[in-house]
Amino acid sequence: MEFSYEVKDTYAEVKADGRLNMVSAPKLREFVTDVIAGGSNRIVVNLEHTAFMDSSGLGALIGCLKAARQAGGDLRIAAVQPQVNMVLKLTSMDKVLTAYPTAGEAFSND
Amino acid sequence: MTEVLASRSFRGPAAEYAIEAVHNDLDSLWLDVPFVNDIDQMTFTTAVIESASNIVQHAQPAGEREVELGVETTVQPALLQARVSAYHAKPPFGPMEAALPREDAESGRGLALIEALVTTVTFERQDGTNTWVLSRTSSED
Repeated sequence: MEFSYEVKDTYAEVKADGRLNMVSAPKLREFVTDVIAGGSNRIVVNLEHTAFMDSSGLGALIGCLKAARQAGGDLRIAAVQPQVNMVLKLTSMDKVLTAYPTAGEAFSND
Repeated sequence: MTEVLASRSFRGPAAEYAIEAVHNDLDSLWLDVPFVNDIDQMTFTTAVIESASNIVQHAQPAGEREVELGVETTVQPALLQARVSAYHAKPPFGPMEAALPREDAESGRGLALIEALVTTVTFERQDGTNTWVLSRTSSED
């Protein structure tokens, strides 16, 4: 899995491309923690190219959400693909991790 | 006799790289059986990776030999089946009930997810090997 980020006007966009599984989940957590430590507490994780997520990956997103909120911000997800959407719904976490069609829309009403 | 249309088999040390190898096996398996619909492919892949990850993360060696992961996946007409095994492992401990944890928990959703994804899950222990048998009856398009 490859991670990248870009600081926008009102948020930081993190891209996570590949499989978000038990191998990459700790790396996502570390990556997002570093972005938050760099001064961004409003995070959008763009999942457009995340083809797969398991419960470890979901746990990492929840950990990142908690870290963003502890820093006084929030974390939202965008461009969720079908397999990721299935995992979110089956675990009822779609109510906790708010999904937006695009990264640009995630914080557009705040 | 049951007709096996396609299959894949993996066995190796229960380490992180095994998860990627099993996932690659599954991706190539689906290329052999394009008539298996996307939903079945997606759900079954997720269940198999969850089970294999559970072994890599939690299986404890029974003796001096390291735990090995085995995944045998078969596609039969209207049935997907995987035998996900931990070789040379202690019996699993802790609750095996599938209940979802609190919403802010960062782990503990794997078993519930597996049960939601497949038709049946059974557990066998024989000769120091723990095996989870995952079966999913193919859905119609």
